[in-house]
Amino acid sequence: MLVVDHVTKKYGTSSWFHRNKPAKSALSDVSFTVEPGTCMGILGESGAGKSTLGKIILGLLPPDSGSVRFEGVDLYRSDRHTRKKIRRNLQVVFQDCYSAVNPRMTVRQIIAEPLRNFERLSAQQERSIIVELLETVGLAAEHLDKNPRQMSGGQLQRVNIARAIALNPKLIVLDEPLSSLDMIVQKQILQHLNELKDSKGLSYLFISHDVMAVNNLSDRVAVLDKGMIVESMEANAMFECSHPSSQRIIHAIHEANRLGP
Amino acid sequence: MEGIRRIGWTVSQHKVLSICMVLISIIVLSGLLAPLIAPNDPNFVDLMHKLEGPSKQFPLGTDQLGRCLLSRLLYGTRVSLSLALLIVTSCLVIGTIIGCFAGYIGGKVDGLVMRICDAILAIPSLILAISLIAIWGAGWKQMAVALIIVQSVYYARFIRGLVKNIKQQTYITAAKIAGTSTLRLMTRHIIPNLLPPLFIVVTLEIGWVIMDISALSFIGLGVQSPTPEWGAMINEGKSFLRSHPRLMIVPGVMIFCMVAILNLLGEALSERKGLSRLLPKWAKEAKGS
Ligand SMILES: Nc1ncnc2c1ncn2[C@@H]1O[C@H](COP(=O)(O)OP(=O)(O)OP(=O)(O)O)[C@@H](O)[C@H]1O
Ligand SMILES: [Mg+2]
Repeated sequence: MLVVDHVTKKYGTSSWFHRNKPAKSALSDVSFTVEPGTCMGILGESGAGKSTLGKIILGLLPPDSGSVRFEGVDLYRSDRHTRKKIRRNLQVVFQDCYSAVNPRMTVRQIIAEPLRNFERLSAQQERSIIVELLETVGLAAEHLDKNPRQMSGGQLQRVNIARAIALNPKLIVLDEPLSSLDMIVQKQILQHLNELKDSKGLSYLFISHDVMAVNNLSDRVAVLDKGMIVESMEANAMFECSHPSSQRIIHAIHEANRLGP
Repeated sequence: MEGIRRIGWTVSQHKVLSICMVLISIIVLSGLLAPLIAPNDPNFVDLMHKLEGPSKQFPLGTDQLGRCLLSRLLYGTRVSLSLALLIVTSCLVIGTIIGCFAGYIGGKVDGLVMRICDAILAIPSLILAISLIAIWGAGWKQMAVALIIVQSVYYARFIRGLVKNIKQQTYITAAKIAGTSTLRLMTRHIIPNLLPPLFIVVTLEIGWVIMDISALSFIGLGVQSPTPEWGAMINEGKSFLRSHPRLMIVPGVMIFCMVAILNLLGEALSERKGLSRLLPKWAKEAKGS
């Protein structure tokens, strides 16, 4: 369904004054595919290029070379009309739940935004859909008219998930959606994500540096190190990885988690 | 009872804010109600009573033409405030359009627009305004247009900075992914988040515009003689500085109070909104460093 093909991205500094600074390579020659109804986990240390990859897949950042195809449509080499059709099938949940929502909107307005952009609904229909979405992610209807500031991090991240699934997308990019939450909330949200995947046949691209979470949610795992995919494997075989960098990443984080409180 | 207690609590929490609000309301009201509360016709010349001290009929005395000073002051409030409001509103509209355009599109368009703004900002604004008025002739309309041109540039830069800042926020990206069109992005996300800092800046700027109007009217380029305006009143009174300083002090104090209150209010607001450290920085960037 999603085919990432030899994607390369360099960040250059091209201001008027310093033109020829050496460009920093954020991704080099990244290729993988995500099948319908499965979750691809991307593991990597900070600065490995995970968010860059997420942005490219979301159609926000043109790669320097290579292509991203979603359901057979090239995200960067097709006309506007085709891209607009794809738009609703490709959604996102960001790491920082507070900065991902407009602080001046209510929960209802936040979730209604994608609905209003793609569908014509009466106020009544819209409300019932939003309430339903909130229930799917484990929130009561009483939160409808709250401001982001009146919500806890876990609650707001659920709102973000509700917004992402509002249009019944096929793929959701999860860019470290659990990192800013505490352990118990992480577990609950992970469970919701698992349920959604099964009930709606969703696919995920799950970006994280949390080995256990990736292990829990993903079917396949790719390890990203310094912009390159060094190894990819089935999730249940990830602790038997062979490449030294992926061993380092997986075991180091695993150890840290075990030793931690 | 509960309501009164709540208001009392709010006032005690925000003392400066409340005091400034009350004072500004008084000044604005006195301007609005000038025809009702002014004791005399502000333009009625009565040479029999010229340069009289305060009395029952003329609470603040009369000027060199025997006109009631208090009445002129009250009508002057009208003129000064409505001119300032007109100028600031126009600047706001023009600045928002240019600023949003440049800030949102970015790239070469932004660079070009900002270089033009830089060029205009390089000339001190009052001097630029004076030269424009010199070309067009004196009068309040010319002054208003000149000030609007000069000030809009500053607003455009300031708003452009804010827009660039907001554009980088994650929620803008999230909205784009939710399929929001550029126009809706502007009206639903960018402009609403522009308003709180803009409101504070406008509060501060109205004070400076009142100063500019008074300054230009003082040197005879702005509001013309019979119309009561604070700066013009100081100008008329300046020949009597030694014998009757009252003629200059009264409108001078009025200008000072107005500007001081608006500044205090702006400061208090920005402190409350947690913008007190950011605003001066943005403003400095906007003025061009
Ligand atoms: N807009 C940008 N301009 C220049 N360089 C960038 C930009 N965004 C990211 N980079 C660089 O690209 C590299 C990869 O960044 P990226 O944000 O993708 O990392 P990440 O894997 O998401 O890290 P983290 O786990 O901390 O979120 C980093 O070295 C970063 O400095
Ligand atoms: Mg990241």
